[in-house]
Amino acid sequence: MIKLSDVNYTYMSGGPFEKAAVKDINLELKTGQFVGIIGHTGSGKSTLIQLMAGLLKPDSGKISIDGQTLYGKATNMRKLRFQIGFVMQYPEYQLFEETVFQDIAFGPKNMGLSEEEIKRRVHFAAKLVGLDDEILGKSPFELSGGQKRRAAIAGVVAMEPKLLILDEPTAGLDPGGRDEILCKIRDMHRRLGITVVLVSHSMEDIASLADKIVVMNHGEIAMKGTPDEIFKNAARLKEMGLAVPQIAEVCMKLREAGLPIPEGIYTVSAAKAELEKILKAKEKR
Amino acid sequence: MLKDITLGQYFPGNSLIHRLDPRTKILCIILYITVIFCVKNFWGYGVLAAFTAICIISSKIPFGYVIKGVKPILIFVIFTALFNLFLTNGRVLWSWGFLKITYEGVRLAAFMVLRLFFLVLGTSLLTLTTSPIALTDGIEKLLSPFKKIGVPAHELAMMMTIALRFVPTLLEETEKIIKAQTARGADFESGNIINRAKAMIPILIPLFVSAFRRADDLAVAMECRCYRGGENRTRLKELKMTTADIWGWLFVTVLAVLVFTSNILL
Repeated sequence: MIKLSDVNYTYMSGGPFEKAAVKDINLELKTGQFVGIIGHTGSGKSTLIQLMAGLLKPDSGKISIDGQTLYGKATNMRKLRFQIGFVMQYPEYQLFEETVFQDIAFGPKNMGLSEEEIKRRVHFAAKLVGLDDEILGKSPFELSGGQKRRAAIAGVVAMEPKLLILDEPTAGLDPGGRDEILCKIRDMHRRLGITVVLVSHSMEDIASLADKIVVMNHGEIAMKGTPDEIFKNAARLKEMGLAVPQIAEVCMKLREAGLPIPEGIYTVSAAKAELEKILKAKEKR
Repeated sequence: MLKDITLGQYFPGNSLIHRLDPRTKILCIILYITVIFCVKNFWGYGVLAAFTAICIISSKIPFGYVIKGVKPILIFVIFTALFNLFLTNGRVLWSWGFLKITYEGVRLAAFMVLRLFFLVLGTSLLTLTTSPIALTDGIEKLLSPFKKIGVPAHELAMMMTIALRFVPTLLEETEKIIKAQTARGADFESGNIINRAKAMIPILIPLFVSAFRRADDLAVAMECRCYRGGENRTRLKELKMTTADIWGWLFVTVLAVLVFTSNILL
């Protein structure tokens, strides 16, 4: 369980460019949850997840992961970080080793694991993100964009963290690569039972993956709740420069036009089911 | 961490010092530096301190912010001081084994520290009050008379502009990469010097890769917009000297005269 209480963080404090990044954050994430974080650019999403990952030290407030306080006196931060996987935006820029295998092994090696275990984890992680064994021997700089991205994510997954944080893992990928990465992330969440925090600009992705959504606005948590609760407030989301998933918009318009579509439909599959129901009812008549 | 470096950072404002022509500021700084190295007694440093203080106050930049610029070179200053303190021959004040402190050593160490201190203070005041673009414009204009003897003034200024432009970008990138590798359990703090140097590899390689990529992108972007060097290029903002610049000149000249007379008289 991750718990943030009254967390504040300010960038460049004291200088001319001082800017509060996040203010008074109170948040609780349960183990095994898939949490989506949305918010417009500069709303404090990235800062929030970096705080959760223990990469930034909060100016005030407390963050704890399974009872261990981040930056607490009795906490070994390096050990604690092994339990938190952090995939930054454009993670392929972190690749540096001679081969993909060595790069994925970087994290596990730092954890001080045995050769055997490292090997097992590298192969496991590579398989999980969908990289073939032959790619493991190549230089990471020879790979295609999507492969690089997956190699970088594998490097984080190989540490087998309890909490996996991803900052827009699909930014700059083509639709095929995007769906594949998201599919792998969903897989990982299901198979490993870990807590996943996903930052994304795509309401569709968040709607189809997350079971809890946190909406950030001007460094504060504007809304939090299940996708149902969040996407009901289409007007409020629009005010913050966000949107509901396109399919939810379509459903809303159809409802306005008089079709009996219930509220709370925000995924394509749910909308499809509802529309089919309506069509069948029409056929019968 | 990296974001605390003020050396070479612009502090936006509209004070008298901000509005001076960059050429004035650059030439004044050169004179100021010359003066720093010519001072021979503590009276001179008193004058220098007063002059620097007046400049900082009139620039309306918080004093602490300017002082922060000295931090990165602190280790360098301490080493210089220690070397001068222990390795200067002269009248011995204190000795222990092979270590000895001499009167001349103390004097030299104090001078060195003050020189470095004022040097950094003056130059950071220049970069704090002058935007990088204005600075390179000034340099280009100052170097343009030398074009005749083959000095590529425009190209030099362009290179500087680009280099300065990418300092914050690369710093940001470095910080990002450090974070990513920290999250993967990289350890930069423990171990001996060789291990620590090795720990830099996961940061340096991605940084070089991205720097080359950025350079490539920039070259393409510049070519797409038909950039072809300095010949016949006009500018949006021409540099112009004003009365404020004359006062600036007078002020620095007074400083130089005061220091040189103090050197001769005292």
